[in-house]
Amino acid sequence: MKNSWRLQILIVFSLLSLLAAACFGSVTISVGNSLAVLAHKIFGQPLPESVPPLHVTIVWDLRLARAALAFLVGAALAISGVVMQSVLRNPLASSYTLGVSSGASLGAALIIITGYTLPILGAFTLPLAGLFTGLLTVYLAIAVASRVDRGFSGNTIVLTGMVFTLFVNAVLTLVAYFHPDRTRHILLWQMGSFALKDWTFSLVLFPIVIIGLFLLLRQSKELDMLTFGEEQAAAMGVETTRVKWILMSIAAALTGSAVAFAGVIGFIDLISPHVVRRFSGASHIWVLPMSALFGGSFMVLADVVARTVMSPTELPVGAITAILGGPFFVYVYFSKRKVA
Amino acid sequence: MLELKDVSCSYDQLRVLKDISFSLKENEIVCIIGPNGCGKTTLLKAIAGLLPYTGSIKFHGSEIQDLKRKDLAKGIAFMSQISEMYFEYSIYETVMLGRYLHGKKGLLPAVGKEDEKIVERVLRDVELWQEKDKPITQLSGGQLQRVFLARTFAQEPKLILLDEPTNHLDLKYQLELMQRLEKWSKEKGHAVLGVFHDLNLAMQFAERIILLDQGEIALEGETQRVLQDQTLTKVFGVDVLNYMQGSLNKWVSSKERA
Repeated sequence: MKNSWRLQILIVFSLLSLLAAACFGSVTISVGNSLAVLAHKIFGQPLPESVPPLHVTIVWDLRLARAALAFLVGAALAISGVVMQSVLRNPLASSYTLGVSSGASLGAALIIITGYTLPILGAFTLPLAGLFTGLLTVYLAIAVASRVDRGFSGNTIVLTGMVFTLFVNAVLTLVAYFHPDRTRHILLWQMGSFALKDWTFSLVLFPIVIIGLFLLLRQSKELDMLTFGEEQAAAMGVETTRVKWILMSIAAALTGSAVAFAGVIGFIDLISPHVVRRFSGASHIWVLPMSALFGGSFMVLADVVARTVMSPTELPVGAITAILGGPFFVYVYFSKRKVA
Repeated sequence: MLELKDVSCSYDQLRVLKDISFSLKENEIVCIIGPNGCGKTTLLKAIAGLLPYTGSIKFHGSEIQDLKRKDLAKGIAFMSQISEMYFEYSIYETVMLGRYLHGKKGLLPAVGKEDEKIVERVLRDVELWQEKDKPITQLSGGQLQRVFLARTFAQEPKLILLDEPTNHLDLKYQLELMQRLEKWSKEKGHAVLGVFHDLNLAMQFAERIILLDQGEIALEGETQRVLQDQTLTKVFGVDVLNYMQGSLNKWVSSKERA
């Protein structure tokens, strides 16, 4: 099967996952009613009388707003995971390898503890503080890695990222220790959730994901060559140090934005690239958009499970991504390998 | 084509190459030999622009440290030893990467008709066209080396640098690889500079040999002259010619007895 077909199948799968998110919840809404609400909201079609107004609010304002954010966060984390694994030539690398999650958690914790809110930003103060401190951590990790190792090798970057992650986590632990009354709030933020997120969050994240994906697609050949090693890439004409800086900065911006809006949600960034590569091959011009679609859909479905399986109690979506993703990943990765 | 003058390279404080000077003409196949750790690979990497150096390395009159990566790669290709493959690129995709520096970047990277033609031609040259969709992770060492050779040809360089390209290859593939390189060099009028451990291959394909010892050129000259010089014995600590002669005699006599 051609990759263009696979991409189309993934687009359909993504739309179906969003539709599932609209239908399922503590109140089950039929596919027909959900589609009618979508047609009403997107294309301005008149709403059938059989659809209660409450369903419009549930489908559009609550479930789809949340699902759209989940999709964008999943997509951002997945494509960021692709970049980190390829640049570092490390199948275990993830979006969080450079310490963005620890940095963002520390920034968020400081806002939670101080209760500080910027006048214009309001509710966006916390995510933006998380984004800022997450990116600052990544920037420092990359700057130190490039200073200690002129070759800017993948191993140095991974090790520096680990050191920064551990260091910032230690600071976060101390901050939480001295503010026990806020510990639960910090912990809940770190677990990740899409609860109570309206369309504004998606509208902010959407351009970031689209621009990030576009910029990465422009660098897809360079990404391909880096997977063969820095030396080979350089010998084929890639300005490796500059390109790695660009790629990791984009990946960090995507992860930082995702973490800022939804907290730290693991696993999707690790498994999505591997699952997609199993079916589409390794060429990044295909792996990047397919990972975005797969990661996004997977996050949407994980969130549906998180909010329905023990309804009305909501489970942490990060736990669901790992519980569902682990066995699925093992099945896809190893069953295909056996055939090959 | 290539001219090195007093080239030195260091790793931290350790000077690995010391005042290396030699030149390379178009159409030449030159081989670098020497014991382990004498600086052979470092020399190739310096010429490929992968390591900083002092002195001068000029390619067609331009100092390579001043050239942009893409411009340098248009002239010089570096084929290193096979490393571990993590990702399942197809043979075709891998060879197409050799066209990277010739591509024009539009809104998104695209493959031109000319690139497709060149990739098809080089894949047919190395007899891999029929298997072009096979993942490179499923290839044997010999096939993989052919893929990388095709990628190097697709790059269309004027000089190919080879770092022990026949390692891990059985005799048939070693000969095939060298014959393909020889054909490329003669047909295109381009040069090959390779590091080899196998003196038999060097003897058979190289027109000139550079013998390195402890980061310095111990001897340089026509293949036959270098292989018969006593310096070779001194540098390797073994009477190489005698050893090769002895092996050949033993093999011939065992064949006669059979």
